[in-house]
Amino acid sequence: MLKQFTAALALVAAPLAAQDFSEGSEARSWNLYAEVPATFEATVVDLVCEFTGDCPADCGAGKRQLGLVRTADDVLVLPMKNSQPAFTGAAVELQPFCNQTITVDGLMIDDPELGANNVYLVQTIVPPGGGDKIKANQWTKKWAAEHPEAKGKGPWFRRDPSIAAIIEEEGYLGLGPAFDKEWIAENF
Amino acid sequence: MMRSLIFGALSAIALPMAGQAAEGTPIQVTGEIIDTWCYYSGVMGSPDAVVGSAHHTCALWCSAGGIPVGLLAEDGTVYMVLKVGDDDQTAGGDGILKLAAHTVEADGTLYQRDGLNYIVVSEVVSDLDITNQNHDDYGNVPPFSIPKSARPGGE
Repeated sequence: MLKQFTAALALVAAPLAAQDFSEGSEARSWNLYAEVPATFEATVVDLVCEFTGDCPADCGAGKRQLGLVRTADDVLVLPMKNSQPAFTGAAVELQPFCNQTITVDGLMIDDPELGANNVYLVQTIVPPGGGDKIKANQWTKKWAAEHPEAKGKGPWFRRDPSIAAIIEEEGYLGLGPAFDKEWIAENF
Repeated sequence: MMRSLIFGALSAIALPMAGQAAEGTPIQVTGEIIDTWCYYSGVMGSPDAVVGSAHHTCALWCSAGGIPVGLLAEDGTVYMVLKVGDDDQTAGGDGILKLAAHTVEADGTLYQRDGLNYIVVSEVVSDLDITNQNHDDYGNVPPFSIPKSARPGGE
């Protein structure tokens, strides 16, 4: 009977043990000091819904922050970044899989001293039921489709109307255009 | 007896798991609205360099790009901002964008899960604008955040 008890405890405790999610990962390094490759199955959740119970069917249409509840251990991972080196987040990439279970590959940022626990950069997504990996790089295409008036040369963040309006009002340093002008003249 | 023992032991293990979905706690936080990716990843430099006026433009880029914004409290705690008032568009919305690098006093509800703090802000009680003027210490971060066209002799 004691053996059965021990076996039962082991069965329950196994998923609680720290797991290595780097096995099988094909994530590309970004040469970040705290990056750890990680691939895992997870369910895409709307974070506002998860905490408050306010749950639109589309998880906020890509405008709410989303989370990944990892199947193996029920840990809530925060996907902060997609795979583009362009100041772009992950919600747009994950929203098509709202409330579905997918497999992601990417980089975990692990720096508990700074507070970076379970934060993630998504590089690829395998849809529910399997299939080819989808690159998590659709953000700029979606932005371009939503901002035809901002078409032009250079990266999106130099042409985004909302960003441009704030910089015009507050300056690059955020302290006002006059402050900018003086500081730039002194430093460039 | 043994059945009770097993049930009790399993319950004791299972309880902390059920408790992970923490109840919300009312909270008031004073801190800076930051770009959490640059802060956590180190991609643009040290944590002190990727806040304040030095990083204002990059904070705008990341917020507009849908990267989670955080509220960096005076004690160093980071709260991931999920909602501000009725505005739930914290992944690239214009409402949260206007607060980039600003110091604010916010009332809200705190949720803690798996090592992160999440906040649903009910009200920004005060917006103190940019109080962390660190540009003389770090320059503009990253250096290309001020384009050549805005510099002397720029096109």
